[in-house]
Amino acid sequence: MTEEHQPRRDEDQKEFAEEQASLFKITLAPLIWAAHFAACYGLVAVTCAKGWDIDAVRFGLLVASGAALCGIGWVGLTAWRQWNVAQTGDFVNRGGRAEDRHHFLGHAAFLLSIISLIGVVFVSLPLVLIGGCQ
Amino acid sequence: MLGGAVVLWLLVNGAFYYLSRVRTGEFDQRYARHILIGGGIVLPVVVLTALLVWGLSILPDPRRPGDGLVVRVTGEQWWWRVEYWPEGADAPVLTANEIRLPVGQRTEIHLTSDKVIHSFWIPALGGKMDMFPGRETMISLLPEKSGTYRGQCAEFCGASHAWMAFAAVVMEPADFDRWLASEAADAVPPSTDAAARGERLFRSEGCGACHAVRGTENIGQVGPDLTHVGSRQTLGAGRLKVTIDDLSTWISHTDVLKPEVKMPTYDLELDQLSDLAAYLEGLK
Ligand code: HEC
Ligand SMILES: [Cu+2]
Repeated sequence: MTEEHQPRRDEDQKEFAEEQASLFKITLAPLIWAAHFAACYGLVAVTCAKGWDIDAVRFGLLVASGAALCGIGWVGLTAWRQWNVAQTGDFVNRGGRAEDRHHFLGHAAFLLSIISLIGVVFVSLPLVLIGGCQ
Repeated sequence: MLGGAVVLWLLVNGAFYYLSRVRTGEFDQRYARHILIGGGIVLPVVVLTALLVWGLSILPDPRRPGDGLVVRVTGEQWWWRVEYWPEGADAPVLTANEIRLPVGQRTEIHLTSDKVIHSFWIPALGGKMDMFPGRETMISLLPEKSGTYRGQCAEFCGASHAWMAFAAVVMEPADFDRWLASEAADAVPPSTDAAARGERLFRSEGCGACHAVRGTENIGQVGPDLTHVGSRQTLGAGRLKVTIDDLSTWISHTDVLKPEVKMPTYDLELDQLSDLAAYLEGLK
């Protein structure tokens, strides 16, 4: 039994080491969304309460929104490439092999970057439409 | 808004019914994908974005400056002290427990409170706004249709919080100006014998220590101004109607009608009650 297990564990560890970047990637888009969210809400609240220059803050946050969207777009693009749907045309992830798991992580990161993109757009809309402290 | 909600409800439940009862077999992959992506992602994103854009476009409205008239409302336990400040006025018109607004004009409502937090809310005209002791908040309202709407305290403020309501009367601007002029005037003297007896009782029972009736020696400020109480739509901040019967019920059962009310309940003879009620009802 132990003889059978020993090589399996090595393989798992090796795969985990290889997939660390992918695991990190699936959290990246939601993290950008969260940081953008906190920056927008926090800065606008403090600026309006203290009477700082809201126009400057608004401009800065719009730039940050643009940067966040680009960042998420980039994560989404690499995740899309990692997911093999374009080659296979198969939306269902096969299971069992390390390669399949690699594709699945791409799939998950891709979907998460879509929802993060929408989140950032929604959070940015008040910056575009309201613009002041009123 | 309701129409949209009904359509969505029918769509979602219709799809649920169709997929769970009518078409139960296995699905073609592409077909299923289109339903999931179209109905699960694209449609909600489009609808929510449209609603968000619309909501954000009207969000600043209640903080827009008004067209001139300012109504200052102070939340008391459990009634509303109301002051009208027309443009350029240096003294307000004082009243209570009713808000009147000219239709088609944006009126600033400045809100504060006596002891505890209350919240000013006329659901038909706008959102709620909290009233804090020692602080002034503002909400501006633009009523579009004349009529009488219900207002209500929307922040728990003690035993009789649920009985702290008021009528919001939206009037044509000319009617409003006429009404405000009559509200600014002193009280009319009693016109019947019963009312004259009631006025004497009002003085001898000490009601004037808490209530003002302008143009008389009663100048109390603890309770609502009663100068024109007979022309209000409700009695006791939405608790009763302004009729002879309800007025005598109010004076003789105050603590039953409003638990912990800051007005004493009076144990008077029936004829005394009806005299007092006749006096108050005549304060048009
Ligand atoms: C200790 C002060 C006090 C005294 C004395 C007092 N009241 Fe009041 N009265 C109040 C307060 C406070 C309210 C508001 C109660 C509420 O709605 O929570 C009130 C409300 C009223 C109202 C309803 C006003 C409205 O706008 O609907 C009437 C009418 C009234 N009192 C009549 C009388 C009469 C008549 C007497 C004398 C027999 C009297 N009050 C004595 C404090 C007093
Ligand atoms: Cu209340």
